[in-house]
Amino acid sequence: MTRQKRSRSRLKRAVAPYLYLSPSLVIIGLLMLLPMVTVIGYSFQNSAVLRRDPSFAGLKHYQAIFADPVFWASLGHTLYFTCMSVVFHMTIGMIFALMLNSDRINPILRNILRVLYILPWLFTAVIIAVIWRLLLEPNGVVNSVLIQLGIIGSKIEWFSSPETALHAVTFANIWAGYPLFMVSLLAGLQGIPKDFYEAADIDGAKAYQKLIFITIPQLMPIIISISLLDFIWTMQVFPLIWITTGGGPIYSTEVLSTYTYKLAFSSYNLSQASASAVVILLISLGLTLFYIRYQKAR
Amino acid sequence: MAEVILENICKTYGNNFRAIDQLNLSVEDGEFLILVGPSGCGKSTALRMIAGLEDITSGSLRIGGVDVVDMPPKDRDIAMVFQSYALYPHMTVSENIAFSMRLAGKPKAERKKRVDEIAKILQLTSLLDSKPANLSGGQRQRVAMGRAMVREPAAFLMDEPLSNLDAKLRVQMRAEITSLQKQLGVTTIYVTHDQTEAMTMGDRVAVLKGGVLQQVDTPKRLYESPVNAFVAGFIGSPSMNLFEGTLKGDELIAGSFAIRLQDAAFVRRPGLRSYAGRKIVFGIRPEHLYDSGLESGRKYQTLPAKVTSIEELGSEHIVHLKIDAVRVDSGDPDAVQDFGMASNAVAKFEPESAVHSGSEIRLALDDSKLHFFDPETHLAI
Ligand SMILES: Nc1ncnc2c1ncn2[C@@H]1O[C@H](COP(=O)(O)OP(=O)(O)OP(=O)(O)O)[C@@H](O)[C@H]1O
Ligand SMILES: [Mg+2]
Repeated sequence: MTRQKRSRSRLKRAVAPYLYLSPSLVIIGLLMLLPMVTVIGYSFQNSAVLRRDPSFAGLKHYQAIFADPVFWASLGHTLYFTCMSVVFHMTIGMIFALMLNSDRINPILRNILRVLYILPWLFTAVIIAVIWRLLLEPNGVVNSVLIQLGIIGSKIEWFSSPETALHAVTFANIWAGYPLFMVSLLAGLQGIPKDFYEAADIDGAKAYQKLIFITIPQLMPIIISISLLDFIWTMQVFPLIWITTGGGPIYSTEVLSTYTYKLAFSSYNLSQASASAVVILLISLGLTLFYIRYQKAR
Repeated sequence: MAEVILENICKTYGNNFRAIDQLNLSVEDGEFLILVGPSGCGKSTALRMIAGLEDITSGSLRIGGVDVVDMPPKDRDIAMVFQSYALYPHMTVSENIAFSMRLAGKPKAERKKRVDEIAKILQLTSLLDSKPANLSGGQRQRVAMGRAMVREPAAFLMDEPLSNLDAKLRVQMRAEITSLQKQLGVTTIYVTHDQTEAMTMGDRVAVLKGGVLQQVDTPKRLYESPVNAFVAGFIGSPSMNLFEGTLKGDELIAGSFAIRLQDAAFVRRPGLRSYAGRKIVFGIRPEHLYDSGLESGRKYQTLPAKVTSIEELGSEHIVHLKIDAVRVDSGDPDAVQDFGMASNAVAKFEPESAVHSGSEIRLALDDSKLHFFDPETHLAI
């Protein structure tokens, strides 16, 4: 083979992988990067979209958002909503996974429970929102049960009173989201060798010690990666809140996603909406980088 | 003062499968007992019952004089080494070794002192801060030993602890475990299906088959006087050759050849005469068959045989042969595979032997080393 030929075949081999990648790169570029860059562009323009030749606005829209108390309230609600959701998703998912994995429970009952516990996962956000609106109506099931049990004295307007609305949507989201943890942790539990527990039995470990010293450390990689993913997803939840409370009453359930949506499609302030969207993007980006770093480190 | 005594132990699993039947075994204080048998014979079941990981269906079990049948594992004062080692991957070597002390709430300083002691014995000192994933197989094995030693238990239970190691390392660890056991003097019950381990490591060996104990004895006596054809076939490698024959006067007739027996054979076995004129099962170990062409084979009776294949191992030749006799199955499922259709006997020849595959030879046989078994019960005569 001549030198020229050889170097050409080497070039071919170097280029080939990128050729295979190119279709997906083009699609990602068109559908994700382009809109992202456009939105970032909008956030620096006056009257973006609405005018043909918008002028450069600098950081004006960001300043407007940061000066808006509703934005800060939304950020706070988002954090509360997200943190509570992730913590309870994990706790409930863990408890249910441990129950389903325990051989002290009858196998038939275990199979029934497995189906029941996974049900919330089968519903889309819209159906979950409708279900909980019906359940939490002033004349709904939840109120009547609680009154029957004597836990509350009078009917509570869960979604329409500012004191309870945020807790109510958080609760609905917790209910909707724990199965992911449950399923992942159950798979993890089934992967822990039985020997580990038998060795611990011989060494005299009590049930809680086995949980602390074996089960949780063994599940740690799953707990961390699913928590991070859940955090990223929950921060951006929109339909559940939009359909149950729409961010109200009096902004009490306003989160970053509803806040942005309203700026864009109620106030038609697309520039400020873009700025708000960029803020969400930056927060998500930070978390995602953290997640990728963690995945790489493993 | 920790002898382990099993009396009439039975184990029936949930699916009505009887894994252990009427097991009686007493292991003396400080003794190294090997529990051996083919795959699925109930060795692990027996060991796990002693450990308390498996319920005992019926019978009594005493460790150090205490009835432990209803005790959970932790109160039985035993330590177990698992086949998989069961080391916790998220803990360092020293955390693994100290785990039981940590559970018991022992102070850190005491834990460290004890771990250091043990690491010294097992030559793990430089590895104390490593995770199990970064250790070699032999090192992991030693950590598993360390974890068992840390509590100074009344008895060690080991379930095939060397089966995950390569052949060379296994030989080395075999010696290490044996000398460690002597040094510590702790009663040890060691499960294996490797009969070399059984013969070389233990003070006594218990042979199990289908959940039933066959024989408990020193390795030497097990080899020299097995109680039945199964033990005869299971102990020793390659397995003892077993054939059908007929006793006629002083002669053992099998196929087209006859072996004359000496008076000593009848003196040693008073029952043998009563088989005169009847069928009998006789056995001969491969190492008691010789190449008649060599000096060592000159003094023995010979019989015709055809060589079917040869495995040259350097120090010896394993020679597969076809002789004119009906082979008897010892009942060891692992042994059956050794024989193809073509051959029915195995001999161990000296490396000087010049026989080659396909040749017709005269096979010399040391008749004083013959074993005799009842054709029905397979019990030794
Ligand atoms: N949990 C169980 N339920 C039903 N049968 C079982 C159970 N555990 C073991 N057995 C059966 O009991 C018999 C003995 O099993 P055991 O594990 O004690 O064998 P083993 O001698 O240790 O074999 P190996 O050398 O392969 O480890 C086997 O036939 C096995 O199929
Ligand atoms: Mg076993």
